Amino acid sequence: MNGLQIHKAGIASSVQDSGRVGTLSIGIPPSGAMDRPALMSGQHQLGHQHDEAAIEMAYADFAAILTEAHDVVVTGAPVQLRINQQACRSEGVHHIEAGQTLEVKATREGIYSYLHLSGGIMTTPQLDSRSTSPREGIGGLDGGFLKDGDIVPLGAPDKAVGAADPQLTIKNSTTVLKLRFVAGFQFDDFADEAIRSLLAEEFTVTAKANRMGVMLNGERLHSGIAALYSEATCYGAIQVPPDGKPIILLNDRQTVGGYPKPGAVISSDCLRLAQSRPGQRVRFAVCSPEEADRIGWLEQHYLETRLRDRH
Amino acid sequence: MDFELGPAGEAAMRLVFTGPPQPALTRALLKIETKANQRFGSMLTDSVIGYTTLTLFFSASALERDRTEAWLREQAEAIALTDDSDPEHSAADVVLPVLYHPSVAPDLEWLADDRSLSIDDVIALHSDATYFAYATGFAPGFCYLGTLPAALRTPRLDTPRAKVPAGAVAIADAQTAVYPCESPGGWRLIGACPEPLFNLGNTPPSRLSVGATVRFEPIDEADFRALGGVVA
Repeated sequence: MNGLQIHKAGIASSVQDSGRVGTLSIGIPPSGAMDRPALMSGQHQLGHQHDEAAIEMAYADFAAILTEAHDVVVTGAPVQLRINQQACRSEGVHHIEAGQTLEVKATREGIYSYLHLSGGIMTTPQLDSRSTSPREGIGGLDGGFLKDGDIVPLGAPDKAVGAADPQLTIKNSTTVLKLRFVAGFQFDDFADEAIRSLLAEEFTVTAKANRMGVMLNGERLHSGIAALYSEATCYGAIQVPPDGKPIILLNDRQTVGGYPKPGAVISSDCLRLAQSRPGQRVRFAVCSPEEADRIGWLEQHYLETRLRDRH
Repeated sequence: MDFELGPAGEAAMRLVFTGPPQPALTRALLKIETKANQRFGSMLTDSVIGYTTLTLFFSASALERDRTEAWLREQAEAIALTDDSDPEHSAADVVLPVLYHPSVAPDLEWLADDRSLSIDDVIALHSDATYFAYATGFAPGFCYLGTLPAALRTPRLDTPRAKVPAGAVAIADAQTAVYPCESPGGWRLIGACPEPLFNLGNTPPSRLSVGATVRFEPIDEADFRALGGVVA
């Protein structure tokens, strides 16, 4: 079988495409690549549709052998790349022969890197997506994170494409990352003191961060809100449990929840948060829905311009 | 009825009613959801009904805030909770078989002791009621059912169990539910249902949906095994 034989999967590698649409009503999160621009840029470089699947690696420590020749691209958090024990530059398209080893190792920057393979990943889609939702056991390879010894089926590669090389790596702020959020949900019911702290204080990203969400440390936020009726969550929702430590909900979030939320961080800042290592300092700022629309539109336009077909 | 409208992040609108949950309100939310699907078509990517909320998710570039908000306001104002049919005294849409026995229900004896009831009393109280599905979520196929008889109401465990098996019949506060798949959980477990509640191969994949009425039917261990249930 044409496949990628995984020798070392690393701590949290999974098959991810652009995620599911329309499954919230049956309790299934969208999942999908945590760094969507990185997914799109890698697929673009191989001449694929931008929403096709790659292997997402958190803190990459990955080794595999290809049973047939493929072109590969690695995007997202910067990595050290070795092909057949030879170090090579990580950018651009690399040709790998059958039987050669591929090693991808994280550097000190960012979290999620993406391994893209020509011909594409041929796991069976579920609910119109190959994305893995590990908690639900849906998508990917057997619904879970990849393990040592797994073989990921691949499609027959097209001719090498070698498109332009738009590196859309998110450069994380070395100082303070701004998290702009649209106020909503229980914002008006939060204790004044909690809102004041949320807007005035600095928070840091903790190690309790994964595909479901990112917990922050800092001034405890006491919402003063008792029990709530369970309601829909959303991407970027700022969930404040009784311990007062906010959690920003991301791709694999639970679709409903009963904790108070003062709003939701806009997606362009969520991407940067997802790629932030523990210790990253963050600050919240309110953003009007109209401003969020403008930022979203500009970012989409930027992506489309960068990824325009050039061949 | 009082309501509030607002954004749920950058690409969703949230409608919340300030009163208590009630079946008539859930049915009204279902009606608005159906109308929204007709009105917005493919621009509307998803919708989620909570106990007192309806959240509409749009494809990011397609959300016209002002017009959407005006339309939702109109719908919310037109809501009259005239539907006074009482689901808790009507025939159930779904009947789920349940083995109520300590071998599959680690909190059953505790609950009976705590309430000075016999286990048979607990079973009768839980299975005589008809429940209404107010919301789905937490896990695929998980449905929040109400209202639990007052005599059985109990708070969640202080420390959730790391593993609750698929099919566990659980209670918390005024709610009851069946865990569709193995997951962590803090509700008290009083029975086990051998029938699968979620299967991606089915259309729809979930056995229960918002607005359904549900009843539990006590079965014995032989029936439980015959229906595919496993007793540890």
